[in-house]
Amino acid sequence: MIQYFSEVFGAFFAILKGMSVTFKTMLKPSITVQYPTEKLVPFSGFRGALLFDAETCISCNQCVKACPSYCIQLENAVNETGKKVAKVAWYSIDFGKCNFCRLCEESCPTKPKAVWHSKDYELTFFRRDEMVRCWKKGFDFVGLYWDRATKDFRKPEGQVQIQTTQERFQY
Amino acid sequence: MSNSPAAPELKSDQLFVNLGPQHPSTHGVLRVGLTIEGEIVVKAVPDIGYLHRGTEKLAELRGYHHCVVISDRWDYLSAMNNNLMFCLAAEKLLKVEVPERAQHLRVAMCELNRIASHLLFFGTFGIDMGAFTAFLHAFREREMVLDLFEMSCGARLTYNYIRLAGVMKDVPDAWVARCREFLEFFKPRLKEYDELLSFNPIFLDRTKGVGAISKAAAVDWGLSGPNLRASGVDYDARKSEPYSGYEKYDFDVPLGGDGDCWDRYYCRVREMHESIKIVEQALAKLQPGPILGKGVAKVPKPVPGEAYVHVEGARGDLGCYLVSDGNMAPYRMHIRAPSFINLAILQEMLVGERMSDVIAILGSIDIVLGEVDR
Ligand code: SF4
Ligand code: SF4
Repeated sequence: MIQYFSEVFGAFFAILKGMSVTFKTMLKPSITVQYPTEKLVPFSGFRGALLFDAETCISCNQCVKACPSYCIQLENAVNETGKKVAKVAWYSIDFGKCNFCRLCEESCPTKPKAVWHSKDYELTFFRRDEMVRCWKKGFDFVGLYWDRATKDFRKPEGQVQIQTTQERFQY
Repeated sequence: MSNSPAAPELKSDQLFVNLGPQHPSTHGVLRVGLTIEGEIVVKAVPDIGYLHRGTEKLAELRGYHHCVVISDRWDYLSAMNNNLMFCLAAEKLLKVEVPERAQHLRVAMCELNRIASHLLFFGTFGIDMGAFTAFLHAFREREMVLDLFEMSCGARLTYNYIRLAGVMKDVPDAWVARCREFLEFFKPRLKEYDELLSFNPIFLDRTKGVGAISKAAAVDWGLSGPNLRASGVDYDARKSEPYSGYEKYDFDVPLGGDGDCWDRYYCRVREMHESIKIVEQALAKLQPGPILGKGVAKVPKPVPGEAYVHVEGARGDLGCYLVSDGNMAPYRMHIRAPSFINLAILQEMLVGERMSDVIAILGSIDIVLGEVDR
């Protein structure tokens, strides 16, 4: 009987002790953010969604070889006489396969990098078509996706871009 | 009775219960087929493979640089240790040296990752035992470690930071100060954890004396890491076969006594103390210098041969066996996954335990299903 009550009181005091930690923490400023309205900006060097610049790219295939999931594809551009030039006709990254590992960015020989990570961590897709981002001359760095149903390029609407935190480009 | 978890033949007073594969306390997709008699478990068969991605096979088609990325995906809660393990094995094949600064950075990252991983264990084990507050505290601190990783390599879970012959890039200037700040913040928190959870009588009642593993059984089943040390076996790859310069660090290996759930839990909490010590020493040793060694080609092709390397991961003895036939991809890669081997003892341990203790035991083993299934 005495043991029973001492156990009950022991547990009770332990809860009080634990609660004291809770109360101490309660008085400290809050560390959570209200996500969709408040957004944290990642540190520089964050490996977010990839951006690509068709003007800088010299179509050297280094990134294609460096990619561990083989999710980059590109095609050389040709000039009027049918000779290959150091530009891409189109370039695409399958974000459904991408590991966000930065091997492509590291292997890219151009300055500034033709393919690089943005700070965009809100990469979401509604359909599988949206996962394959495509770039061509004249497209912006975010790229467009090919909609197989309507057969045209579309802006990636599933992606909520953190518009102010891109490193190389302001929207 | 067959060993298959599905449809065992039951006696009339027995009941077959599926624990998982979506049970929250399994921390992933693990199914345990439990046969119970009243409240007592008479047979337990863990059923794994729900997360099998065939990464060992995949590595045979990928270059050595690519394999580092793959290694992130085994034990995703302590990916730095996986990176290190693979890189050490590949470096052994390639016979390249790692610069001093990179060594210390590697050690600091791995220990920080150990802290993050043990914090996650601490939090989720608390939840399994019905203590929710500890989880929130643990995740607050874990967030800080992940911020440190985000600062240094840009990712929060799959780092790909440790590379062949070095690390991905140097840490920014503010990193060291921020890391020290975190360690100072973290030390008193560990004391709070003891108040919150470790010596709480309710928690003690649920974990003390539950699921004890004897020294002999622990060795027989090939346990490693905190699970082994909780049973009182002094084995730590960082001490017995130091790698990455661990022999120059001064730290203790916490040992338990009875090998019950509480011992396994407290072993990890004390390992966090030791990790803090190691990180502090690593930061003190950090001198400016190169972070990437020479001699690693863009597509490395090591001479034919084999290498086995094991490191002390957050969950135990993490080993990598690599065979090279001179091509750009490994001929064979095999991973000694500590979670997988630690999980095996479950089928013996759970027998005779009460149904309510199953969760405590499963939680205390601390498995990561990504590593179990690979
Ligand atoms: S980040 Fe990695 S996985 Fe993604 S495209 Fe670049 S190399 Fe490939
Ligand atoms: S993105 Fe860079 S690495 Fe890839 S083809 Fe263009 S220039 Fe070469």
